[in-house]
Amino acid sequence: MTRLHPFTLLALAAALVALAWLLPAPWGAAGTLAVAAVLALFSGAGLTPGASPGSTGTGMSPGWRPGLVVLRTAVVTAAPFWLFLFILHDVSTTVALGLRITTMVASVVWLVAVLAPARLVEAMVAAGWRAGTAYLFAATLSAVPVLKARAQRIVEAQRCRGLSPRGGLGPRVRALRALALPLILSALHEVDERALALESRGLVPGARRTPLAPPPDRGAERAVRWALVALCVAALVWRLA
Amino acid sequence: MTDALRLERVSFAYGDVTALAEVSFALGPGERAALLGRNGAGKSTLVRLVTGLRRPAAGSIWVEDWDTRDRPPEQLARRVGSMFQYADQQLFARTVRDDVSFGPRALGFAAPEVQQRVGRALAALGLEAHAAHHPYDLPPAFRKLAALAGALALEPRLLVLDEPTAGLDRALRARVASALLERAAAGAALLVVTHDLAFAAETLERALVLDRGRLACDEPLAGLLAAPPRLEPLGLAPPAVAALSRALGLPGAPVREADAARALARVAAGRRAPLD
Ligand SMILES: Nc1ncnc2c1ncn2[C@@H]1O[C@H](COP(=O)(O)OP(=O)(O)OP(=O)(O)O)[C@@H](O)[C@H]1O
Ligand SMILES: [Mg+2]
Repeated sequence: MTRLHPFTLLALAAALVALAWLLPAPWGAAGTLAVAAVLALFSGAGLTPGASPGSTGTGMSPGWRPGLVVLRTAVVTAAPFWLFLFILHDVSTTVALGLRITTMVASVVWLVAVLAPARLVEAMVAAGWRAGTAYLFAATLSAVPVLKARAQRIVEAQRCRGLSPRGGLGPRVRALRALALPLILSALHEVDERALALESRGLVPGARRTPLAPPPDRGAERAVRWALVALCVAALVWRLA
Repeated sequence: MTDALRLERVSFAYGDVTALAEVSFALGPGERAALLGRNGAGKSTLVRLVTGLRRPAAGSIWVEDWDTRDRPPEQLARRVGSMFQYADQQLFARTVRDDVSFGPRALGFAAPEVQQRVGRALAALGLEAHAAHHPYDLPPAFRKLAALAGALALEPRLLVLDEPTAGLDRALRARVASALLERAAAGAALLVVTHDLAFAAETLERALVLDRGRLACDEPLAGLLAAPPRLEPLGLAPPAVAALSRALGLPGAPVREADAARALARVAAGRRAPLD
């Protein structure tokens, strides 16, 4: 799956999200969610060691484990939304919105797991985008695992200084809120460093570059992407009509 | 007397990668041990096990009479103060003082006690002038000191520190050394991971060397540092003072700066005497 063209992966995720909101609730979103879940489950499929250098995927070990990890991340991320929806709305609205939001979450989590930022940059540059713009996209994607690791480190350090994750809600919430700022600050710090590193390697904003190894784009994949666009347009027309 | 820390045939693996294999040793109160070894030897893994963030796959780890298997990290924090390799990224409060006070507050000490502990920790590292600063306004080296102050403020009976002096200049290293010596003198056991053998020679007394997850060496640090042929296969290089005193054949093969200076002065005085 990681060997699919980056644009195909993007198109799949985008189409799932669009369809989740366009198709009538709850069956439309239930369908898109099912597709997203299956994608997540298979996100480890076709991974052979060394097949995708630089992949941010959930690991190189083939089999079910990576897919299950992706799926679990999606479920854990989506769970709080359900709680809030349930508090704010009646059951049918909760289900309708919950399925849509969960589709979004699952698609994004799946995308982050299977889309290697480096391949996306290559593909975008090959398609005629500026290297700077392409980098901006990829940097955003690749920041996710970095920030996750950093948040984890802070939480671990807090535990080793006596903060119980099962303890009172008050301190827990305060500690979580306190996480946001250092994460942003250290991320900005890193952006600074990356910008320096990029400039020193000749990535000047505005310059066009020749991609070294553009990911192969097959005709079939291009057809699939157009079909997805057509599907979304059709759904839109159907819903508006 | 109970040991501050005791490992009994501790093993740990990340998936198929064995990180620690049957490691056993014990630290008494006030003992100052260096945990040495090349990159990937398993040092940080051992620190994570002692703090309770990971559990040994086999064997057991005792912090005094507590088995770490039964205690989550937040409970072990009452006895173990820790600092990790990326300590400069672990601060989260708005001021250094707030961050340092986080531990004592989380452990539930009363406000005056918290104040005193924070004051002592900041003073020990000479951080008073930065107490009101935002941690991210400080250079990384000072952030690291602030993280160490956070561990000191727990006033634990065991301090496990992962590379506390990496990235620190000479003056800051000296602050860390004096703060650690002060704590050890007060009875805290120290387990310090470091690649900085000069710092280790000045501050610590016992060498625990890991080699590919096994405890390859457990002996007085000065003796090990004075024997370069033994250091090399362990991936270690003798610090400058040890190399110098060996090259000069100084009596007692001193590895600390002050000891070497004294030995040099004695030798020089001895040379001069017959001439006068
Ligand atoms: N989270 C992890 N997942 C998988 N393997 C890991 C993980 N952390 C460490 N390892 C592996 O375990 C072994 C021991 O790593 P550890 O970090 O304990 O070494 P270290 O002695 O602290 O090295 P360094 O001096 O570089 O900090 C290494 O082979 C390392 O690659
Ligand atoms: Mg380490």
